[in-house]
Amino acid sequence: MSSLRIRNGRVVDPVHGTDAVRDLGIRDGRIVEIHPQEAVGEEIDATGCVVMAGGIDLHSHIGGGKVNLARMLLPEDHRLNRDPIALPTNPLELASCGHCTPGTLATGYRYAEMGYTAAFEPAMLAANARHAHMEMGDTPILDHGAYVMLGNDELFLQLLAEGKDFQFIRDYVGWTINASKALGVKVVNPGGISAFKFNQRKLDVDEEHVHWRVTPRAIVHTLAKALRELGVPHPLHIHGSNLGVAGNIESTLATIDALDGLPAHLTHIQFHAYGTEGPKKFSSAARQLAEAVNANPNISLDVGQILFGQTVTASGDTMRQHANADLGTPRKWIGADIECDAGCGVVPFKYREQSFVNALQWLIGLEIFLLVDDPWRVVMTTDHPNGAPFTTYPHLIRLLMDKSFRDEQMAKLNPDAVAMSSLGSIKRELSLNEIAIMTRAGPARLLGLADRGHVGVGAAADIAIYREDANRETMFTAPDHVFKDGVRVARQGVITATPTGGTHFVEPVYDKGIEKLLEKYAHEHLAVAPRHLVIGHDELCRCCNGGKLLPAACFETAAN
Amino acid sequence: MTPTSSATPWTCPFCPLLCDGFALEARDGGVPALVGSDCTRARAALARFGAAAATPAIDGQAASLDAALDAAARLLAGARQPLFAGLGTDIDGARALYPLTCATGAISDAASGEALMHGLRALQDRGQFTTTLAEVRNRAEIVVCFGGSPREAMPEIWRRIGIGELLVPQREVVFVGSPADAALAGLPGVTTTSIPLEGDLFDTVALLSACTAQRRVHAPAAIAALAERLRAARYAALLFEPARLPAQGMLIVEALNQVVTHLNRSTRAGLLPLGGVDGSSSVNQTFTWLSGLPLRSRAGPLGLEHEPLRHETTSLLARGDVDALLWVASFGSEPARPATDVPTVVIGGPGVAAPAKGVFLPATTPGIGGIGHLFRTDGVVALPLEAVRDDGLPGVADLAKALTARVKALKS
Repeated sequence: MSSLRIRNGRVVDPVHGTDAVRDLGIRDGRIVEIHPQEAVGEEIDATGCVVMAGGIDLHSHIGGGKVNLARMLLPEDHRLNRDPIALPTNPLELASCGHCTPGTLATGYRYAEMGYTAAFEPAMLAANARHAHMEMGDTPILDHGAYVMLGNDELFLQLLAEGKDFQFIRDYVGWTINASKALGVKVVNPGGISAFKFNQRKLDVDEEHVHWRVTPRAIVHTLAKALRELGVPHPLHIHGSNLGVAGNIESTLATIDALDGLPAHLTHIQFHAYGTEGPKKFSSAARQLAEAVNANPNISLDVGQILFGQTVTASGDTMRQHANADLGTPRKWIGADIECDAGCGVVPFKYREQSFVNALQWLIGLEIFLLVDDPWRVVMTTDHPNGAPFTTYPHLIRLLMDKSFRDEQMAKLNPDAVAMSSLGSIKRELSLNEIAIMTRAGPARLLGLADRGHVGVGAAADIAIYREDANRETMFTAPDHVFKDGVRVARQGVITATPTGGTHFVEPVYDKGIEKLLEKYAHEHLAVAPRHLVIGHDELCRCCNGGKLLPAACFETAAN
Repeated sequence: MTPTSSATPWTCPFCPLLCDGFALEARDGGVPALVGSDCTRARAALARFGAAAATPAIDGQAASLDAALDAAARLLAGARQPLFAGLGTDIDGARALYPLTCATGAISDAASGEALMHGLRALQDRGQFTTTLAEVRNRAEIVVCFGGSPREAMPEIWRRIGIGELLVPQREVVFVGSPADAALAGLPGVTTTSIPLEGDLFDTVALLSACTAQRRVHAPAAIAALAERLRAARYAALLFEPARLPAQGMLIVEALNQVVTHLNRSTRAGLLPLGGVDGSSSVNQTFTWLSGLPLRSRAGPLGLEHEPLRHETTSLLARGDVDALLWVASFGSEPARPATDVPTVVIGGPGVAAPAKGVFLPATTPGIGGIGHLFRTDGVVALPLEAVRDDGLPGVADLAKALTARVKALKS
């Protein structure tokens, strides 16, 4: 592979505290020191450009059952008004379409064109893991990985209900991560998906699951502790209780309390930061949330910003999606109870500027971005496609970096909602350094990806070179150059290569004695043979289209 | 049920249940023997694997694989509107076929496309609420089968959903429009009921839907009583086979979904479609994730077009709308290829006839000679298929990749 010098760019690398004009060298897919006089295969003049590591989306529904169901549900999302979507003119692209749930091929192309080089599927069901890995493997260019869902599987709930030794449950968590080849663990509406199968319609943090008699508090605490003891770098990824419900800030604060200082990542927190004030009993609780996050350094979050327009919400949270189904546009939805493991709910939504609720959701999301002090604990997401498709990221970046633009957009919204928000009084504009933290350095650190998210020597050469533009939306839409592992994959919004991305996963150490239990459980309750519960390396490689396997290191703990 | 020592664990690709608890005993050159099940469907499918593997052919004459691939590529590249039909392959095959559809602008449709579209069109219009095998096994107090006993086409169905196990101590299995399955007689905790159709299945399901919604309708007592039992059950599973539905079967699927929707307002229920045979639902899922659109689509001159009615194999051939056919049938259990004069390429498994005019490319069968993946009937669980013997034949994916490279070269 030839060498490359990126000359004279403004390198923004928060990991190394760099924001300076300098050169960057690449050889064999890695960042290296290259002497200024040394001859290189190619030199790029990056004068007037900002150079960052490739973007990392730590929470984006890019692959698996519910995403594919969303595609099937909405053939209209794959047309342009009444017409078919035109075929790509670029011979490197295969035909692939869709606005809020694009085909995997289009997903890879569109992310890469924006300077993103990795995206992570946050809600992989163990029962559907092979499928999720296949879709991610068919998402070109991007590296990927997934968080396996736990905390609604009947076996975990049973073990917790029976008061099994914590070590036993911890080993089961480790086994599940290994079996499904996950990078982390996500809990969705802790216990609530299972409870809905027993016809329970609501589950507060300290309320008991109607059948197993365990609480979300216990589920969250146990899982968070298990991950810490297993040394899994990404802390428990929590989609909390009562998503979308007015007043759910109480559940969110109770969840933080349940963690007892254990590290955790609260995802799409915008959907969980609602109060009950005002004439409509629906208000922003962003300040309360920000105070709690600022006071609890164990907590990180991603926002799940909504942006206006048609999208579709795809979630594992059957309980809440069933409750929301009648609010959907267009009025059709998909739900499923899945394999004593989890569930799913797919509800199309059209967020409207004149809707009081939608406008307030938009305001709350931006308030959270701007009120939490530490950018290392705030990740930029729209919870693609739930808040908005990932293609809206450049617009969102401009909203965060440009107060006057933000005010302009705010003026278009339902005035009652605006009147209830403090966003207008928040002067903060995020810097390029803060954007770099929220879109690459922070997520890489939260996922334990040591050689990603920065451009230090030895890092993978995932690089985006953006031409400076006062209009940050323009700037972040189509970078001049995007490199993936040193290969140019996009040039000014045009795909130039489509390598297969790699799969990030962790392999925690656990007591293999747990396998006996799993074998017995499969025979007695499931509908697959025990030998099919585990995805091996060879099979993972086939599922992921032959991409590189990228096991991330676990950290040392007393337990391992 | 314990496999004998010479038998290897096996995942059966020949019906959408993908049973993986049985074993196969490979016999030199002979028909592999199924161990642990008397499934007539699996045995019938396996019986095709006794003969020697077929060879590539052009216009009925044996040819080298290279010559056959060249001829097939010329045929497909020269067509104005090819049709890729049958599509009897697994996920790996589908992943490799999609680029070939892009390179040729082909329309894609599965052999069981009509059945697939019953479910898909209902989904596109109203959505669905489904359940899976293990959920039914662990939860369903009442299982309602519409339009016939699923055991006829899927002999292992009752074991796969745990009927007769004591996970759910009392289960009622209801047959709407067919007699109760005698095989369930005497199973512990199982009671069966048969309810006749009121009019046809469309009418019957519509009445059941109205009754579960507690609308005032004049329904026969049996249907009204079933609605009451469904409403009283803690978890109900509604089973149907898309392949058994009549024309416009999507309306029946839609009504069944409405029954589930009504029930889920006060108790719990889910629909379990039993279909997706010969890889059709797996190919459909794969094409959907790659392109964004399901089968019966094409990358045509105007762009990506999905036409669930117009892009149907039989009518496309009958109208002369296509001028080349690629028929993929790697399982050997697919329905016969439609009769047509259109120049044809066949990628076929055991027992699949070579076309008198056109090209034949023998392929291995996923789950017999090749490894692979298929989706189970619930669309959630994708299982790996083990190869149980080496027949030396390429897989559909190998052939599709070779054809894509050749077509691209011819078109450049």
